[in-house]
Amino acid sequence: MTTLEQLYQAVIDGKNKDARALAQRALDEGANPGDIVDKALVPAMAAVGERFKSNEIFVPEMLVAARAMKEAMGVLEPRLVAAGITPKYTALIGTVQGDLHDIGKNLVAVMWRGSNFRVIDLGSNVPATKFVSAINEHRPHLVGLSALLTTTMPAMVETVRAIRSAGCPPVKIMVGGAPISQQFADEVGADGFAPDAASAAEKARALVESA
Amino acid sequence: MEPRERYMAVLEGGRPDMLPRMPILMQFAAEHIGSYYGAFASDHRVLVEANLRCAEEFGIDQLSAISDPYRETAGFGAPIEFPRNGVPICLKPPLEEDPDLARLSRPDPLKAPRMRDRVDAVSAYKARAGGRYSIMGWVEGPAAEAADLRGVSNFFVDLLDDPAYASALMARCVDTAIDFARAQVAAGADTVGIGDAVASQVSAKLYESLILPHERRLVAAVHEMRARVRLHICGNIRHLLSGIASLGLDIVDIDHMVSLAEARRVLGPNIVLAGNVDPVACVMRGSPEAIASAVRQCYAEAGEPFMVAAGCEIPASTPPANLAALCRPIVPR
Repeated sequence: MTTLEQLYQAVIDGKNKDARALAQRALDEGANPGDIVDKALVPAMAAVGERFKSNEIFVPEMLVAARAMKEAMGVLEPRLVAAGITPKYTALIGTVQGDLHDIGKNLVAVMWRGSNFRVIDLGSNVPATKFVSAINEHRPHLVGLSALLTTTMPAMVETVRAIRSAGCPPVKIMVGGAPISQQFADEVGADGFAPDAASAAEKARALVESA
Repeated sequence: MEPRERYMAVLEGGRPDMLPRMPILMQFAAEHIGSYYGAFASDHRVLVEANLRCAEEFGIDQLSAISDPYRETAGFGAPIEFPRNGVPICLKPPLEEDPDLARLSRPDPLKAPRMRDRVDAVSAYKARAGGRYSIMGWVEGPAAEAADLRGVSNFFVDLLDDPAYASALMARCVDTAIDFARAQVAAGADTVGIGDAVASQVSAKLYESLILPHERRLVAAVHEMRARVRLHICGNIRHLLSGIASLGLDIVDIDHMVSLAEARRVLGPNIVLAGNVDPVACVMRGSPEAIASAVRQCYAEAGEPFMVAAGCEIPASTPPANLAALCRPIVPR
């Protein structure tokens, strides 16, 4: 196996120490840091997402894969920055006001990063006004709104309304979370919905590439 | 039949006059009586009044002590905040940064204020309506409480990185769950609900090897107290059903994303299935007729023994007419 193949497998298996060492070894062997991301890390997270979608793996395995990717990126990022290599797309994500759950939002952020988005995570319990000001500040291509509780679905409605009516720069809005459906997304005027983190990565790319 | 007779008839293999109605109420009940969730979760008098009035008005057969996930977590020392209209917040999981189990004391359910408040709720139910209604106490399951103590992500990673630690933590959680269940049964609960929702997010392999043995010990302990057990793992538990079948449960809640027919096939003919009307799309947002039809469809899929419920909690903004439709009497076939 090549070093990149080993790195790919280490991320899938959630072996964070191996992932860091292999990313360093790939650099030492002269690999381009952008190629390491594109040929090992992005495909690894895509494979993790597929396995999650098909119920081959579950949230714990996703979390350790994400941790391994983060370790590898910790080695690569200084070299990426120095080479002027940045992700093509930027996304904001947060859990809407009143909702403190962050696992689903975190998994989507991981999958978006694994699809080579720059992701700005606003955290949980985020007021609509904070989404609006962050959009004005960062000018993202995409905003993701998450809610786990049925009781916070109205806050999602309010956040979409605020983003649409605040004179923000054009931005695609995706919604997701346990009680959210495509019907709800359509009703609130969101551009996209995904039922799981892996689908959220596919949907995000489709949305920004069609813009 | 009185509600409790109806409930026990199903559990004992008899024929009730109508299917027991078992929806889980929290914020809805609080707001329905003009109160709010923060009061419901922090003062048993509000919880008891809200559930009793909803039981009378809608025809619900069981009074529940469920309120939020953090009764035991508070007993273990976590600070809890009570927003007026939201789920209580655990400000700092006790083992989030330092996983050392030696730091955990074993809470006394009659002294830890939030645990005592739930025991007092059960006592109040018993005093006010014990003969008429079934009374369900509530404890957190081993995975749910471990996740509350460590933080959900930390606990999930523990399951893979250090299964021995995760198991030791769950054993401590079950010790406390048993103490808490015993206090509630002594106060008058005929049933103990076990909530273990985070278990739905792990593989069948992890569930069966690490979580199930702890759930099994808890279920057996409650049965030794001569109380019934209702397991609630909301979400998609299709992959966990074969493990759950081995727990010896009396009642299992089935959420809307799991087929009741499949649950019946895997769990067998004796366990009571409760569910599984979609709580948001149908109960909160559907019409009363659509809800009543969905209940009949659930019954047809589940077969006997069956109790009426939504897949999870009744959302706060559900129109009262919709809950009434969910609870519309159905005479067993």
